[in-house]
Amino acid sequence: MKITALLVLKAAPEATDPVILANASDVSHFGYFQRSSVKEFVVFVGRTVASRTPPSQRQSVQHEEYKVHAYNRNGLCAVGFMDDHYPVRSAFSLLNQVIDEYQKSFGETWRSAKEDSSQPWPYLAQALTKFQDPAEADKLLKIQRELDETKIILHKTIDSVLARGEKLDSLVEKSSDLSMASQMFYKQAKKTNSCCTIL
Amino acid sequence: MQARHGHSSYRDRTDEFFGVVETLRRSIAPAAAAPNNVPYGGGGRRDDPRSNAVMQSEFNRRASVIGLAIHQTSQKLSKLAQLAKRSSVFDDPTREIGELTAVIKQEISGLNTALLDLQAVRNSHNDERNISRDTTTHSATVVDDLKNRLMDTTKEFKDVLTLRTENMKIHENRRQRFTNNPSKESTNPFVRQRPLASKPAPSQPAPLPWANGSPSSSSQLVPRRQGEAESSPLLQQQSQQQQQQMVPLQDTYMESRAEALHNVESTIHELSNIFTQLATMVSQQGEIAIRIDQNMEDTLANVEGAQSQLARYLNSISSNRWLMIKIFFVLIAFLMVFLFFVA
Repeated sequence: MKITALLVLKAAPEATDPVILANASDVSHFGYFQRSSVKEFVVFVGRTVASRTPPSQRQSVQHEEYKVHAYNRNGLCAVGFMDDHYPVRSAFSLLNQVIDEYQKSFGETWRSAKEDSSQPWPYLAQALTKFQDPAEADKLLKIQRELDETKIILHKTIDSVLARGEKLDSLVEKSSDLSMASQMFYKQAKKTNSCCTIL
Repeated sequence: MQARHGHSSYRDRTDEFFGVVETLRRSIAPAAAAPNNVPYGGGGRRDDPRSNAVMQSEFNRRASVIGLAIHQTSQKLSKLAQLAKRSSVFDDPTREIGELTAVIKQEISGLNTALLDLQAVRNSHNDERNISRDTTTHSATVVDDLKNRLMDTTKEFKDVLTLRTENMKIHENRRQRFTNNPSKESTNPFVRQRPLASKPAPSQPAPLPWANGSPSSSSQLVPRRQGEAESSPLLQQQSQQQQQQMVPLQDTYMESRAEALHNVESTIHELSNIFTQLATMVSQQGEIAIRIDQNMEDTLANVEGAQSQLARYLNSISSNRWLMIKIFFVLIAFLMVFLFFVA
């Protein structure tokens, strides 16, 4: 489950190329000489997919061994390169978050961008590392996982509570026997005491 | 009549008895057994023990069948437990485990119904005729024993299933960490749909940036193909398909979200159930704990009272006062007797 790259582009509906606004990629698992070409490839495919994505639409494209997910919201498009195992839903919720974050931090300034911006956006790099685990991106997945764990824990709890119940039952029997025995003891003692004071 | 003929009469009677048993066995039907016995048997009293014995033996037979089935099921269960424990990352006998699980589940439910039938049969026996108390207790004990064994088997089954799910989870985690094998959960609708749409007419509003010139749709494909050497032709095909797949993708996305939400909701419901049960059990046990407390307090009070009594007793025994008084009285008595007799 790996994210290889995350891109934010401005997908202009006119005839121009989509403009890259932010780019973060993790090419560490490629050989040193392939890295630059992989980056180029990422940039190019990202532009292609973004330009083909109509506004307010989500898309997933299979390209070699990557799935490219794209989400276009009113001209601002987020593209993610993930492998096949990454759940589609988490991918899209991740893209949602990225777009929200971008809009919060950059406002509307991106609309005027005409060329690829080269400044890295630290949030994107952080997001790339953080969201390698799909549960982080998709709250639903995280919740489902935690609920399942909780259910298992609760099953174990109920088993131990049942065992506790059995032990309590045996305890109650023993304590009632004990109280009976102590009552007999008391009666005997009283009898020996009160009976023969003389002699 | 029997005593008059001596031993031979007994033997004759035995043959008759066997004949009656044969006829009974042939015509046996639980509801109609009682009225059928009367014309065949020698006396009504002797029929009861015989049919009772037949009923009892049938009960015993069924109980033994059920016991055997339970034993076989528990053997299969132990095999399943071994399989579940043994499964390593690479050699996963999932299919076998699944089959075995289904088989065991079926058997357990079948045994359950059989046991309930047995119990119903026994109850109907008890209502129909007068059976001795020992027989009743015996059949009750047998049924309880079988039920206990079935419960143990079911509990083991549940434990094995829990173990299996934990193992599977561990395997999934390990697999994610170490290998790149595709997990079974991902589906790629576009991979499947790739062979479907071969050359769809492009309905894009804007011509592609590298399509040089030709406005006609058919020729757009060709320059696109020839133009870009870097991009894979598959990407172009899929990009054309994207337009048509757009709406289904939205639906799929929304559907998957809705489904996930449903799952979460049902899980939460189950959790709430479990919590309520837990709370009930704990409150019941709390009551038991209070009772235990009271018992212990009673015991404490009793023992303290008894201890004080014994302390008093010890005091009274160890004090010399009464002794002195008694000796004094004995002396006075002697003096009196002395004075009486002497004076």
